[in-house]
Amino acid sequence: MRTGAAAGHTGYFHAAVQYASDEELLAVTVPFLLGGVAAGEPTFVSFGERTADLVRSALPRDSGVQFLTGGDVYARPTAAIRSYRNLLAEQVAAGAGQIRIIGEMPVSAFGSTWDWWARYESAINHAYDDFPLWSMCAYDARITPAAVLADVASTHPRYALPDGTHVDSAAYADPRTYLAEDRPPIPDPLQAGPATVELVGPTPGQARHAVHTADRGQLPAADVDDLVVAVSETVTNALRYGAPPVVLRVWSGADRIVVTVTDRGPGPKDPYAGLLPARDNAAGGRGLWITHQSCNHVAACGDDDGWTIRMIAGNTAA
Amino acid sequence: MVGTSGTTSADARQPYGHACLTYDHPARFQTAARDFLAAGLAAGEQVWYLAPEAPRGWDFAPRVVALGDQYPAGSVIDPDAGLAAYARATERAVADGFTGLRVAADVTTLLVTPTQVDAFARYEIKVDRYIRTHPFAALCAFDRTRMGDEAVDQLACLHPESEAPFHLFAPRPGRGDAALSGEIDETTRPAFLQALRRAELRPGRDELVLDGEELAFIDHNSLLHLDAQARELGTTAVLRTALPAAARLAGLLELTSLRVEAVR
Repeated sequence: MRTGAAAGHTGYFHAAVQYASDEELLAVTVPFLLGGVAAGEPTFVSFGERTADLVRSALPRDSGVQFLTGGDVYARPTAAIRSYRNLLAEQVAAGAGQIRIIGEMPVSAFGSTWDWWARYESAINHAYDDFPLWSMCAYDARITPAAVLADVASTHPRYALPDGTHVDSAAYADPRTYLAEDRPPIPDPLQAGPATVELVGPTPGQARHAVHTADRGQLPAADVDDLVVAVSETVTNALRYGAPPVVLRVWSGADRIVVTVTDRGPGPKDPYAGLLPARDNAAGGRGLWITHQSCNHVAACGDDDGWTIRMIAGNTAA
Repeated sequence: MVGTSGTTSADARQPYGHACLTYDHPARFQTAARDFLAAGLAAGEQVWYLAPEAPRGWDFAPRVVALGDQYPAGSVIDPDAGLAAYARATERAVADGFTGLRVAADVTTLLVTPTQVDAFARYEIKVDRYIRTHPFAALCAFDRTRMGDEAVDQLACLHPESEAPFHLFAPRPGRGDAALSGEIDETTRPAFLQALRRAELRPGRDELVLDGEELAFIDHNSLLHLDAQARELGTTAVLRTALPAAARLAGLLELTSLRVEAVR
């Protein structure tokens, strides 16, 4: 039994909240949360510190709303999907007829790594559709870049308005369409210079060695280890499913290591590749899914040369 | 390359005299065997030399054993009988006042068919376990030009050190049921799974413990295979490794029959 705007809806009811003032945010958020608690639905807030405090102070004491804190939920999109799916499955197993969540991305997500968060916002229309979830994604129009707001319009089926109503997003695109479009990532400045290591047709072992060679101690060892796993997986996939030649390029910067793997093939067919685990590991899906959880940024794009996946360990804000 | 162990640092492979030489030129066996056996002689061991060609120009005389005396020519080795023969010889050497038995053997000519290689691999695994806990040492030499890289690597990987990309070998006593080192990925996994099958690992206690302290890399598919094998055996496998990424992968994969424990 679902309540509120999502009553009668099957699966995921996904809305954006684009607000221009704290009052607008609270006008949407507070009734949404209290309505959930009143209906006996598990109701969660996943906000940053400022907005969480704002909402908390607008709620009655012991409101029953649960604030998700401590975990770095929005560190990596694939990990966020995994973490939320686990949370949702637990709630459904415990008998929830609907789960309400309102969340927001940290401002740091709106920079050079926004593309994978845009893909996240699109993919979750599918990834959370197994669950009776009503969620809102809040975007502060005062600090969110226009390009990000344009992607929000393409990835959310609807907007929640301060008067309690919803309006469809005219720009909404089905995730399979949105995710299949090529969106070249913003080039990392290191990529303008020569690669520290470039290998044509490397084995996975040679690719791992190349990453170790580029490691000058600028990153924690565990981050390098994770990048090595990611590069090994992508080269393995390129050799197995891509078309030769496979070209590996590694750039070593002062605070990061950037790696690209290019092959002449068309890239994975599955639009959710990397964001969701492939159930049967068909076409290297699990390797890409691991790769997306092993780096601070992963982006892939096809072009005239084939398909290139780029991985960054360390600082992605350059 | 000669993987000589029992000579230097006190890592997971030491002290442990199961060495491997994979060579392209027979002269390399002569040199490696001379050095290997000279070290044994200095340590008071009885030293045996088994190869088609006699030692040339050495300043000591090992006992030269005809290959056919230790390994019936043209046949497929019986791993248990082969081990028993060396165990008896080791006991005799000790009874005769030596500190142990040390053998340098170039067995290339015995390994022609896949069946012979398979049986010899199973024999290597038994010998390896015996060497770990007995006063017996062996240098096993294989000619790459005659056997081919694939057959050579099938055997080389069953030594604690060799040119093989990974190794499956006997751990130090008390450290588990098998030890792993090197790199296990998509390209080496078929050989790794073959070595695992040949090792016929069974849990020593209630869990199957793999000492992976010297493991440099293991990919997620290999972890899935280990998980599946443990499930088939009806046990839980424990991989102890210094690789933080392996433990993280095991968590992501939500493995049920393989636990990855961080060491160090």
